[in-house]
Amino acid sequence: MGHLILRVTIKLLFAPIILFALYVQFHGDYGPGGGFQAGVTLAAAFILHALGFGLDRCQKVIPPGWLPVGMALGVLIYAGTGIYTMLLGGNFLDYDVIQPDSHHHAGQHIGIIVVELGVGLAVAATMLQIFYAFAAREPEPMDDAW
Amino acid sequence: MFTAAAAAIIVAMIIMLFRAIAGPTVYDRVLSVNSFGTKTVLLLAVLGFLMGRPAFLDIALLYALINFIATIAILKFFRYGRLSASMADMDLIRGDRR
Repeated sequence: MGHLILRVTIKLLFAPIILFALYVQFHGDYGPGGGFQAGVTLAAAFILHALGFGLDRCQKVIPPGWLPVGMALGVLIYAGTGIYTMLLGGNFLDYDVIQPDSHHHAGQHIGIIVVELGVGLAVAATMLQIFYAFAAREPEPMDDAW
Repeated sequence: MFTAAAAAIIVAMIIMLFRAIAGPTVYDRVLSVNSFGTKTVLLLAVLGFLMGRPAFLDIALLYALINFIATIAILKFFRYGRLSASMADMDLIRGDRR
């Protein structure tokens, strides 16, 4: 079996990358990061796996049919939070009405975390979809293959 | 001291750029771009301490990761001609590219 060192490295890195993505996702309030960066990092873990072990194995774990569902669900979570705050009587994405009695702006924190989850899901699905679209393209024949 | 380190890293990055432009084969260029990325990580870490913002270390960590993935992707593309090659394909084609 070829590329043994590369595949062992990828196996070792796969879980820490996803852990780092979750760190960026949930630590986005206090440090650099947020939903977009976390989504890209999460997608990068699966792209790295697809590069090392082949696209077919990656698509067994995350079938291409799931990705449009993930994109739409992410946007639905984002817009749904906005509609929810409107239903509570505030403006679109007016997080303060979620917990109006809190003196520590708990509504702001809850709203930001839910919205960033939606962003992360949508971005991860979109990045993986872009990679699938690029990788599934058949190579053009070389000049000397005619 | 951090300023001197940053200047030294920038000089090393410029040298790497010359190799990336002049490199006769694609592997020279991949190696130089990979080394350039490593120096970018170092520069980010040094700048983080220089500006008193240790949160730069998170960005440096992520940059190292993306740099690694990009190098693997470029090498795989030039070796097999496509990014989707399965494990069987990769084991089949060991020698030159198709």
